[in-house]
Amino acid sequence: MIVPLAHVLALAAAVFVLGLACAVMRRQLIMILIGVEIMLNAAALVMVGASAYWQQADGQVMVVLLMAVTASEVAVALAMVFYLRHRQGTIEADRFDRMQG
Amino acid sequence: MSETLLFLIPLLPLSCALANLLFGMRLPRLFAETLAVSGVAGATLLTLLFWDYAAGEGTRAVLATWLASGDVNVAFALHFDKLAAPMTLMVTGVATLIHLYAVGYMRQEQDYARFFTLLNLFVFAMLAIVLADNLLVLFLGWEGVGLCSYALIGFWYRDKNNARAGTKAFLVTRVGDVFLGIALLWLFALTGTLSISEINAQAAALAPGTVLALTLLLLLGACGKSAQLPLMTWLADAMAGPTPVSALIHAATMVTAGVYLLCRLFPLVSLSAAGMTAIAAVGALTALYAATCAMAQREIKRVLAYSTMSQVGYMFMAVGAGTVSGAMFHLFTHAFFKALLFMAAGCLIHLAGEENDIFRMGGLARRGPPELFWVFLAGAVCLAGMPLTGGFFSKDAVLLALFSHADPVYRVFWLVGVLTALLTAFYTFRLTYLVFAGEPRGAGHPHPVTWLMRWPLWPLALIGLAGGILNLPALVGGSERLQHWLGSLAGRQPSVSHQLEWQLIALAALLVLAGWAAAHWRYRAYRPPLDNRTARFLLQGWRTDQLVDLVVVRPFDAMARLIYIGADRALIDGTLKGLSHFTATCGGMVRRLTTGRLSTYLSAFAWGFLLILGWVLLALVARGGGH
Repeated sequence: MIVPLAHVLALAAAVFVLGLACAVMRRQLIMILIGVEIMLNAAALVMVGASAYWQQADGQVMVVLLMAVTASEVAVALAMVFYLRHRQGTIEADRFDRMQG
Repeated sequence: MSETLLFLIPLLPLSCALANLLFGMRLPRLFAETLAVSGVAGATLLTLLFWDYAAGEGTRAVLATWLASGDVNVAFALHFDKLAAPMTLMVTGVATLIHLYAVGYMRQEQDYARFFTLLNLFVFAMLAIVLADNLLVLFLGWEGVGLCSYALIGFWYRDKNNARAGTKAFLVTRVGDVFLGIALLWLFALTGTLSISEINAQAAALAPGTVLALTLLLLLGACGKSAQLPLMTWLADAMAGPTPVSALIHAATMVTAGVYLLCRLFPLVSLSAAGMTAIAAVGALTALYAATCAMAQREIKRVLAYSTMSQVGYMFMAVGAGTVSGAMFHLFTHAFFKALLFMAAGCLIHLAGEENDIFRMGGLARRGPPELFWVFLAGAVCLAGMPLTGGFFSKDAVLLALFSHADPVYRVFWLVGVLTALLTAFYTFRLTYLVFAGEPRGAGHPHPVTWLMRWPLWPLALIGLAGGILNLPALVGGSERLQHWLGSLAGRQPSVSHQLEWQLIALAALLVLAGWAAAHWRYRAYRPPLDNRTARFLLQGWRTDQLVDLVVVRPFDAMARLIYIGADRALIDGTLKGLSHFTATCGGMVRRLTTGRLSTYLSAFAWGFLLILGWVLLALVARGGGH
C-alpha cells in the first residue's frame, strides 16, 4: 500500500468534518444533503483504506453497498426537496418548524 | 308438621314483597293488592295455626347457616316463644287491617307496587325482629325496618320536605343503631355467642359495671327506634309519609321494637338496678315531654305522633319498673288503639279535603259517616285512659308497677306518669273537640271515604276498647291472662294491698275526668289557637330541632368545612396541584429544546457527536495511547 493508513484516515476525517460543517452551517436543504453525502463519502473512504490495509475485500463490498444506499437516499431526499419546494415555495430548512414542541 | 314451617310466617310477606317488587307493575292492580294483603293475612293465620309451638320454652327452628367462621356460628334461626307469639300475632293482625286500609287509601296512587312492596318488606323485617333467635337476625330486621321506614316516610319523594323527613328519620335512628351494634359486638366478645337465650343465661356471670354499660347501650339503641329522648326528633316529622305507614310503622309496630328488644333481653337488663332506673327515667322524661308537645300541636297526625312517643315512654317506664307483662300489655293495647286513631285520622283528613290542621277542621261529626266519629272516639277514650277501656287498664298497670317499686326514685317517675296521664286526657279530648265539635271551619271539599277505609277500623276499635281482657287485674275479677301466659318472662309483679290499688285506680279515673273537663271547658266552643311564647315553644317540640341543629348539625358542618378547606383543599389539592405545576414547568422548559428547526437538531447532533468522540479519545488516552 503506497499511502499509509494514517494519511487515509486523516483525509477521511478532514472530509467528514467538512461535510459536517456543511450540513450544520448551511441552511438550504440541498446544501445539507450535500453535506450528508460528503460525510458518507468520508466513511466510504475509511472503508476503502481499511480494506486496502488489511488486504480484505469486505470493506470494498461494503462501499459498493453504501453507494447503492446513498443513491437511493439521494433519490428519495431530492424528491422530498422538490415536493417541499412545490408546497412551501422554499427550501430554507429553518422555515419548516411546524414540529415545534 | 316440622318446626321449620314456622319460617313461613316471616317468609310469606317477604315472598309477596318480592313478587310485587319484580312484577307488581305488570300485574293487574287488584292482583298486586290482593297479593300484598294475602301475604300478611296468611302470616296471621299461620301464627294462629302454630300457636301451640309457643307453649313451654317455645320452639326453635333453624333454616340454614348464615355465617360460620371459627367461633362465629350464626344461623337463620327463629324462636317462637311466649313473648314472641303474641307480638307476632299483634304485628301480623294489625298489619293485615292496615294493609286493607292502605288498599283503600292508596286507590289514587300510581306507584302502588313500590308502596305494597315496602309495606310487606316492613312486615317481614318486623317479624325478623320479633322472631329472631339470635341478635344478628334481630339486627337484620332492625335495619330492615329502618330502611322501610325511611323509604315509606319519603314515599312521595317529589316533595323535598318528605324526602328530608325520611332522611332525618334514617339518620337519627342510625345513631341508635350504632349503639345497638356496639352492644351486640360487645356481647359477642363477652359471651362468645349471639343467641339471645344463651346471652340471657350467661348474663348473671358478667361484671355489674359491664352489665350497666351494656344496658345503657341497648337503651340508646332502643331509644333510636322507639323515638325516646334524646333520639326522638324524627318521629313527628315521620308523619310526612302516607297515613297507613304512620299507622303501621310509626304507631303500632316499629316504634315498639325498642320496648320489645328490652323485654327480650330483660334477664340481662334487669341485672343492673341503675340501668333499670335509667330506662324508667328515659321513659318518664319522654312521656312528659311528648305529652306537653302534643298539647300545642296543630296537625292531627303530629298530635298522634307525640302521643305515640308519650305512650312508648310509658312502656319504657314499665320495663324500667321491671314488669315485662305491663310493658307488653300497654304495647298491645296501644298498638290497637293507635293504629285505629291514625287510620281514622287518615279518613278525617280525607273528609276535611286534605286538611291537616285541626284548627281548620271542626264539625266533622256531622259531615262524614257518623261511624267515623264513634270509632275515633273509641280510640280517643283508650288513649286518654277512660276507665274500663284497654288503655286504662294497661296504663294503670304501668303506674301501679311504678308506685309499688321499692326504690323511692320510682315515686318521682310515678308522679310524672300521673301528670302525663292528665295531660294525655287533656290533649286527646282537645283533639276530639277541635275535630268534631262546632261548625266546619275549613274550606276544603270533602273527599269520599271508601268502605275499605272504614271497616278495618271496627275490629281495632273493639279490640282497643276490650283490650283490658288481655290482662285484666285480679282486683276487678280478671285472670291476668297475659302475665300468666308469659310466666317466667313476665318480670317482677307488683304486690300491693287491694285498698291501695283501688285508690290508684280512682286517682287515674279522676285524672282522666279532670283532663276531659279541662278540654271540655276550653274547646267545647271553638277558640283560635294561643300564640304566645309557651305555645310556640311547645308547638316546635321544645325547640329540640334547633337544639340538635346547634349542638350537632352546626358543629358538624363547621368541622366538615374546616376539613374541606384545611385538609381537602389546602393539603391534598395543594400537594397535587403543586406536583402537577412542578412537572408542567419542567416539561415547559424541556419543551423549548424541540424548536422544530432542522438546524438546531443538526448542530445538537454534531455537538453530541463531538462530545462522545472526545470522551472516547480520553478513554483511549487513559488506557495508554491506543495501541
